[in-house]
Amino acid sequence: MSPSEARAGGATFDTFLLVPILLFFGLLIVAVLRSPSLITSSGIGSAEIVVAPLVLSTYALMATVVAGRGTVDLSIGPLLGFINVTLVQLSAAHVFTSPIAVFVYALSAGVIYQIVFALIVIWVRVQPIIVSLSGFLALSGINLVILPRPGGVAPDWMADWGAGTSIWAPSLFMVAAATLGWLIFSTTAFYGHLRMMGSDERAAYTSGVRIGVVRVGAHVVSGLFAGLAALSYTALINSGDPSQGKTYTLISVTALVLGGTSLMGGRATVLGSLLGALNLFLIGYVLSTFDFGAVQGFVTDLSYGVILVLSLLLTVALPYLHRWLRYVSPLQAFVVLGLVFTGVALHATYDYTALAPFGGAAPAAAPGWIATPPLEQVEQAPNFLRSLFSTRLSQLAVLLLAIVIALRILVSQADARRVTPLLYAAIAIGGVLGVWLLMDTNAFVSNLRP
Amino acid sequence: MTDSPLFAPLTAPIVRPLRWIGLALAGLIAAIAAGFGFAQSTPTLYVIFVTIATFAVALWIWNGFFLRWAAESALYTQAAAERAGRQVSARAALRGFLWRNKGALAGLAILIAGYLILALTVSGFLTWTNLFTTLFLAASLVFTTLTSRAFADNRSAFIGLMVLGTMFVVASLNVTGFFSGANIKSMLVFASFLGLATVGQTLVALLGGLDLAIPFLIGSSNVGLLYLIGLGIPSVIAVIIVLAIGTLIGLLNGVLSFPLQGQALIVTLGVGFATSGLTQILTSIGSEFAGNVFGKVPHWLSNVAAMNGVTFGLEIPPVIFVWIVVSAALIYGMKNTVYGRYLYALGGNRTSAQRIRISERRYWWGAFAISGFASALTGSLLLGWSGGGFIGVGDPYLFTTLTALVIGGTSLLGGQGGYGFTVIGVLVLQVLTAFLVGIGLKYEWQQFIYGLLILPMVALYARSPHIRTQI
Repeated sequence: MSPSEARAGGATFDTFLLVPILLFFGLLIVAVLRSPSLITSSGIGSAEIVVAPLVLSTYALMATVVAGRGTVDLSIGPLLGFINVTLVQLSAAHVFTSPIAVFVYALSAGVIYQIVFALIVIWVRVQPIIVSLSGFLALSGINLVILPRPGGVAPDWMADWGAGTSIWAPSLFMVAAATLGWLIFSTTAFYGHLRMMGSDERAAYTSGVRIGVVRVGAHVVSGLFAGLAALSYTALINSGDPSQGKTYTLISVTALVLGGTSLMGGRATVLGSLLGALNLFLIGYVLSTFDFGAVQGFVTDLSYGVILVLSLLLTVALPYLHRWLRYVSPLQAFVVLGLVFTGVALHATYDYTALAPFGGAAPAAAPGWIATPPLEQVEQAPNFLRSLFSTRLSQLAVLLLAIVIALRILVSQADARRVTPLLYAAIAIGGVLGVWLLMDTNAFVSNLRP
Repeated sequence: MTDSPLFAPLTAPIVRPLRWIGLALAGLIAAIAAGFGFAQSTPTLYVIFVTIATFAVALWIWNGFFLRWAAESALYTQAAAERAGRQVSARAALRGFLWRNKGALAGLAILIAGYLILALTVSGFLTWTNLFTTLFLAASLVFTTLTSRAFADNRSAFIGLMVLGTMFVVASLNVTGFFSGANIKSMLVFASFLGLATVGQTLVALLGGLDLAIPFLIGSSNVGLLYLIGLGIPSVIAVIIVLAIGTLIGLLNGVLSFPLQGQALIVTLGVGFATSGLTQILTSIGSEFAGNVFGKVPHWLSNVAAMNGVTFGLEIPPVIFVWIVVSAALIYGMKNTVYGRYLYALGGNRTSAQRIRISERRYWWGAFAISGFASALTGSLLLGWSGGGFIGVGDPYLFTTLTALVIGGTSLLGGQGGYGFTVIGVLVLQVLTAFLVGIGLKYEWQQFIYGLLILPMVALYARSPHIRTQI
């Protein structure tokens, strides 16, 4: 494989990821500027428990959409609700309450439903979207029968899952496990067959792919994700709610499309779906930081719709912009925007009063501030980013990582006569400089002082 | 002439015994009708008339449909066997017959099993009405299965009509007051709203798209119209303004979703959200109650849509006539105008349609614009029906329009179906809803039953061929 081929083949990040990435960082920067509390430990904690069910249900949709034939599973929301309400009712009846039993139940309920779905599609041979519409109506109805109105309680051990005070919430682990699982899954030959079937079922059939088995497999994966989504949803509301099916279906499909997945099948990236779901959450979050008075909800609807349409239109415009975007890889954009965001986040959350004496206009409490070393300030502040950087070990780790990545990129791009290596070198230097500044703020400030 | 497949079957040996069975069945049905008539002490003259009519209709259905197709299928089996050069044993023929109709047999088994289980477990279930209902359902199932094969193109329409008729009879038997003028009128009014809302969805689905903006446009036009009337604009002009804006938003939907056809449902959803948000912001300006619009609905508008409306002295709400006229125009127009034919051509095969220089873009835009117009019309009419503006009035139409479409038999992939199918789907949905409400089922059970019903209905006529036949 020649180097140019390697570069072309290495483009696992497709260009269509650019839109979700741009949108993500744009929204993130606005969100942080509007409400810096988002990147505190509890801010991230509460965000991730809200966003986890959405991410997981988007993954569940993604797994079946890849299988082609326009399999947009409209019933994903009611399926989530079904597992949620049955879980709450079963644990209220003390049928089972142990974590293992609950996990097994949720996952197997999702898998069994999806297998039945797949078998109907294979044997009865009706369009998948009709099967899913049928499932949507049937499950929405039966959910209201099982639990007529929102209520009930989740199992006891789940009570503090939805607290959202710490970053290390169980929802995060579920999302991480699902993402990792999909990444591993997407390296298998089975996934290759799945994508092939999704983009051209006839070609797959004629080349000997057992399309029935592959379709069932895709639905099993989807069922697993649906089970996890239901668990994280139960953790979020800590009760049962039969009425959220339609909402979850609509926002999951929206998140999937925002993430650049084609509903025609054969193309999906887990990163895109993740970003799509995060973007949806951030749109809501940003809008909630503005105060529109009585028309708040309507402005939210309006902006939500407009952002949705605009970001989809950007996807259309992408091929026309491709001439100028050719040298912008999504990975590069991600790194650059990530650094920009880090800068903005530090700016938004940095306690500038600590540097007040330097500016000259010292407040009354100046002596006390000077007496306190800024590094301790940093450690006390309830700020996730700074607390992450404040320990020696993590600083060293970041430094090491930056150097390794920079070296790796430099080596791999050495024969390309482009400016890209220089860019990465600049980024690496910037990163190292930033970490160094954070490590030694005190010394830096005192050096600058006249 | 005699070797044409239409006339040949009546010479098949199976015909003679079937004729006698048909005669006996028709006599039995006529006798039951006569019994019912006398039991209800109807005037004798009527009873005789109805008995004769029932006998004639039953015999006609038997001879004209069932007999012909049963004989035809027997002949074809025989011919196929002769071509294959072997004698088909009676057992093999029977096995083939059973295998071909396995779906119907399963349905029959489920029906009988359900009846037996209910009869054994629920006390007071064993009534003549229930027995007759079950027998009628079984007969209708058998008849539909055996005859529907003969319809090549309009099979879904035939099955839909059979289901409609069966459900209507069953509901009339089981729900008191179902077969009354007032109830039929109210069903038709609701069916008109749903039918008008589904106009756009049908056209868009024929092109292979989906329009999820319909519920939002209905709600927005509902609120917007009342707001405009409240501003003092003459009501007729207000309605025209709302319809024009609805058409424009529909057009916007089409323009935006044209380059994103795979994602049309999300684009329209986004436009719908934006429209409903914008409408509510505009109508809330200067109002203390955000989101609520107060006003007086003009008399003529409530007359058009309300249950006690009057059309030219007839005690029938004009909205029903509006729907009938729209349906007739669409059904006729889709078959006989250039626009209709080209729409089908585009839905069937994009590439071929482009080759004969049909503008894909114009038809896509047009279908969505019509959808916007129809949604605005439905929203305006719903204002006349309810008498107050409410943004959520369109919410039930999000998936109901899809359900009606699917039950009618229009393919969501484009190119197959039409508004006539949708009319049948709407009526089936409406009669089913009225029946389920009539026997006292709650909303959640209704939803559940719709869900379970869609699948077998679609499976009856919209099965795609196996992949190995598509290579």
